[in-house]
Amino acid sequence: MRIRAGLWAVLAVAVALSGVWAAHRGRVALPVVARAPGHCVLNTAQMRRTHMMLLRTVREDIVRRDARDTRFRLTHCVACHVQRTASGRFIPVNAPGQFCASCHAYVGVRLDCFDCHAAVPHHAGAGQAAGSALVAAFRMPRALRASKGAGPGGGP
Amino acid sequence: MSDRSQTTGSLDEEGGGQEPDALRRKLLKLAGAAVALTLAPGVTVLARDLVVKGSGGHKTPVRYGLLIDANACKSGCESCVRACQDYNGLSHDPGPDNAQWIRKVTIVNPKTGFSRSFPVMCQHCENAACVDVCPTGASFRRPDGIVLVDKHRCIGCRYCLMACPYKARSFVARNVSDQKPWAPRGKGTAEGCTMCVERVEAGKPPACVAACNRAGHKAMVFGNLHDPKSAIALRLSEVATTTIRADLGLGPSVHYRGI
Ligand code: SF4
Ligand code: SF4
Repeated sequence: MRIRAGLWAVLAVAVALSGVWAAHRGRVALPVVARAPGHCVLNTAQMRRTHMMLLRTVREDIVRRDARDTRFRLTHCVACHVQRTASGRFIPVNAPGQFCASCHAYVGVRLDCFDCHAAVPHHAGAGQAAGSALVAAFRMPRALRASKGAGPGGGP
Repeated sequence: MSDRSQTTGSLDEEGGGQEPDALRRKLLKLAGAAVALTLAPGVTVLARDLVVKGSGGHKTPVRYGLLIDANACKSGCESCVRACQDYNGLSHDPGPDNAQWIRKVTIVNPKTGFSRSFPVMCQHCENAACVDVCPTGASFRRPDGIVLVDKHRCIGCRYCLMACPYKARSFVARNVSDQKPWAPRGKGTAEGCTMCVERVEAGKPPACVAACNRAGHKAMVFGNLHDPKSAIALRLSEVATTTIRADLGLGPSVHYRGI
């Protein structure tokens, strides 16, 4: 009898926890991050943690230090990570559910890069293919990438 | 890049077990230009000095400038203005709050009827008033003489709009979309002629100069004022030129002939 009561208690706790878990998942949708072709300039873990610092450092170099010849540029990020609609039009990377927006919504950090910067590539021919060629030219040596194949866009 | 890819050695993302110094050296050796170094979860050192330096620190002194020949500029022609708007993603509509990075100005001497039409843009002053008054350091002058707004720092106070005697600065008062990737601009910041800095760094003349040449007027010369052999320096040594409101002592980089 006592054992049965114990089992019921465990079951009740499990059901309650799964409810909490489901509610949690439902409340904040996990980011859906499309995989970009090729490899990023840094590995996924480093990009997740440091992309904002990279952007801040590089923007100082480009805007103020007259050093435009850097490998890390926001336009390259956009060129690789932009998605297209079925009819082939670019979807801005800051549109709901897109590469930048979905993660930023998940972590609750306002994304203001694209208040000023273009959120789609300029050339109609750019995007995935051009982006991957671009990144191929600038990508990080394989030895420095933590995990092979963990390009940008592996889920969180 | 393939030679880089063959570099041996591995670096786990948390830098596990290695001394930070050793790790840093390894990173230096491997990457040359790698920037981020993760020591522990959440503890990251940005190797600031590793970022590739570009054209900064010119070996020869550079000061980019323009020479505008009002005698060659055609009254009614707006090719340069259109080219600027198209290249930098500005509106053609002359609405009250639309940006004017370049405008056509007509001067008339009422006594003689002498009139000239010519473009005026940011004069990329040596002693720029906008830089002097800017409280945040957003307005700044690059080593090559181009005066820019660092919109990451601009707080939209509009002091520079007031200070500039050439009325060369505009303020973005509304949300902007469809910016050009090379000309970021957004609400709440000041902006002005950038001398098409991206084109200049790619070795091309500013869009207005190219358009004037295409239109066949050839009223604008762009180049390095400090290079005595450049087309602009040679021309300046040949013909009488002036700068607008030279009395203010701002030392414009834009020179005019025929006004
Ligand atoms: S023309 Fe005006 S905005 Fe341009 S550098 Fe001179 S003071 Fe600054
Ligand atoms: S509007 Fe921006 S650039 Fe102009 S003075 Fe104020 S902070 Fe500086």
